[in-house]
Amino acid sequence: MLKPKQMSRLLIAASRDQMAPVIAELYRHNLFHIEDYVDQGAEGYDGFKIGTPLSGASEKSADLVKIRSIANTVAVHADDIDAGPSCTQDELQTKIEHDLPKLEREVEELTARRSKLETRLKELEQKIAEITPFADIPVDMNLYHGYQRFTTLAGYVSRDVNMNVPCEMHLSKGKDKNFLVIIIPSEQKGEADKALAEAGFQPVPVPEDSGSPRGRIEFYSGETAAVKKEINEINKQLEEVKQKHAGFLVACEELLKAEVDQTEAPLRFATTKQTFVAEGWVPTDKVAAVTNSLVYETDGKVFVTVVPTDLEHDSVPVEYNNPDFAKPTQVLMDVYSRPKYTEVDPTLMLSIVFPLFFGLILGDVGYGLVLLGMAFGLRKFLKGEEGRYLLDVLRNASISSIFFGLLFSEFLGFAIPGLKPVLFSRHLMAEAAEGEVVTSHGPMIPQLLILSIWIGILHITLGRVISIINHAHQDHGQHRIKAMLANFGWIAVMWGVLIGIWSIAPLPLMPDLTGLPPIVSIINYGGVAGAVLAVLGVLLIAYDSVLEVIELPGIISHVLSYTRIVAVGFSSVAIAMVVNFISIGMFIQPQLENISPFGIFIILAGLVVFLLGHLLNTVLGIMGGGIHSIRLHYVEFFTKFYKGGGKKYIPFGMKRRFTEA
Amino acid sequence: MAAEAVVAAVDVGMTVEQIKATQLGMKALGAGIAVGFTGIGAGIAEMAIGSAAVGATAENKDIFGLALIFTVIPETIVIFGLVVALLLLFV
Repeated sequence: MLKPKQMSRLLIAASRDQMAPVIAELYRHNLFHIEDYVDQGAEGYDGFKIGTPLSGASEKSADLVKIRSIANTVAVHADDIDAGPSCTQDELQTKIEHDLPKLEREVEELTARRSKLETRLKELEQKIAEITPFADIPVDMNLYHGYQRFTTLAGYVSRDVNMNVPCEMHLSKGKDKNFLVIIIPSEQKGEADKALAEAGFQPVPVPEDSGSPRGRIEFYSGETAAVKKEINEINKQLEEVKQKHAGFLVACEELLKAEVDQTEAPLRFATTKQTFVAEGWVPTDKVAAVTNSLVYETDGKVFVTVVPTDLEHDSVPVEYNNPDFAKPTQVLMDVYSRPKYTEVDPTLMLSIVFPLFFGLILGDVGYGLVLLGMAFGLRKFLKGEEGRYLLDVLRNASISSIFFGLLFSEFLGFAIPGLKPVLFSRHLMAEAAEGEVVTSHGPMIPQLLILSIWIGILHITLGRVISIINHAHQDHGQHRIKAMLANFGWIAVMWGVLIGIWSIAPLPLMPDLTGLPPIVSIINYGGVAGAVLAVLGVLLIAYDSVLEVIELPGIISHVLSYTRIVAVGFSSVAIAMVVNFISIGMFIQPQLENISPFGIFIILAGLVVFLLGHLLNTVLGIMGGGIHSIRLHYVEFFTKFYKGGGKKYIPFGMKRRFTEA
Repeated sequence: MAAEAVVAAVDVGMTVEQIKATQLGMKALGAGIAVGFTGIGAGIAEMAIGSAAVGATAENKDIFGLALIFTVIPETIVIFGLVVALLLLFV
């Protein structure tokens, strides 16, 4: 929690004949993050070379390529398929030997036929396009070619043609341009060209076809339809192959990928003629288990030891170490950057605060329920791990949204009848007209704004405190003290300014220091204390780096940035209320008082406006609530302490979904 | 100040209701200007950053998080505008 998993550097050395069992055992454990050996004469690695793949690597790779190409052709993705009944390795192996070549031939044949048909389809369409301009000219296309002394020209003209050579000319009028076919004596082609150029002639090729143009077009259209039908049939057959073999394909891919990974693993080891050495990282609590099973599998013919970690030079892979409910939020962390091994991992804080912000922004029972439904409904379509995690984040956010909806007493922008807002009211249209009974409270903007500013102040202070902890862990010597003091300085400036403000003006929800004994005019002891704290803070910041002082106004903009929690929330409430007003107040209610056939139509229109408006507001709510909450973390919170850039922990092995080890 | 304005306005023949309505209208105008112009400002600022960020993300997907941060930095301006508008209308 708040720290990545502790890792130990493991060194495994054995003779070469133990390579296969060691690799198989490491792969089964799915824990060992291999540190690739690079041939650069590292200390203690004189005479070592990069290893060569185990036997059978190239055949397995070839099979894997085949499987992937088939899976690609029929569009099968492992993420789209539920983890099915696992097959044993032997069953699959025999299937790969027997069924795979047949399946490959079948798919290849079908795709080859399809691409041939597609080429034919293009040819036909080209021909139709060529003949179409000639359709309006009632001349057999035989008559366009086959002359020795005459030339046929065809094309579009934008103006009338004044032809002063003997010719046969056919013109079909079009919308913008006229289409012209002209047959002239070949020796007078020069003059004809000139006359045509004056008319803005754009030539088109004369088709080498015979018969009436309309007849030919009909014939080619018929053929096109036949080809399309055949392509559709092939697609259907491919779909059948997909339905029938999808499970087999993904299982095969998984099995072969596992085998290829294992046979190619020596490429990442350091080897001599007789021995090999593998280095890598294992979570510290799993070291004993991995070591014991390696020793057991090789009958003790392996040397495994933990090498001391050098935090300054080693780049330790980072694996999150979070309780289950915080795990989905890791996706949001990876979008920013994985934490470094030595810094505080803020995933847990993000997993708690992100839904709170989301709920504060989109605090509405109705929208919360819609999003909750979405979070469960979309599970059918998103089967990958990342997609699931995102949906879990959405689920937590929508639960928080429902909770705050109850506190704000909001349901699709309406006040929930009989439920007074526990938290400050956000109902905008609360000012009742004369004579009406006030049913809800007016919006309590100042209180809400101050609440959001409080959230900002505390959040930023927390960020700075974590920064002090990080510097204490990561830095050394004088720089460490300076950096820690500078962060304290930032906190001091912020709180100093705050105390100063409190001593001058009373604000709702904030301590009132204006009652302290005054010194000069409006400045009292509180003001002085605030000023001293702020100046001390500035000095501490400058002590670390003078340039940082120009960032000081950022404190105000960062704290005020948290008011977006209220502002964006209000905009969502406002849109909901406007939608309700338009659809119910303007469309539905007046018609209900005096029902007529036309009125029913208006009521239906009102319902459409209601649905569309709230649909739009739901989408805006996800965008507003999600993006602004995460942005407050990324920009305002993380920039205070978080560096990121840790290396991802990728253990050697795989989570098997379709096969058994 | 407000009382002087009222006196001056009554002098030119406006009723108190008219004055109140005018003040309300001015507030609404001010709120609109606050949101509208800050929105335009944020839009102009995000235009260049956004296109660069999309280009950079297309080349290297890993910097999506960083690109998102760059893109949303100017957005704070429009939030300030929104806050000012809310304060004008409701406080």
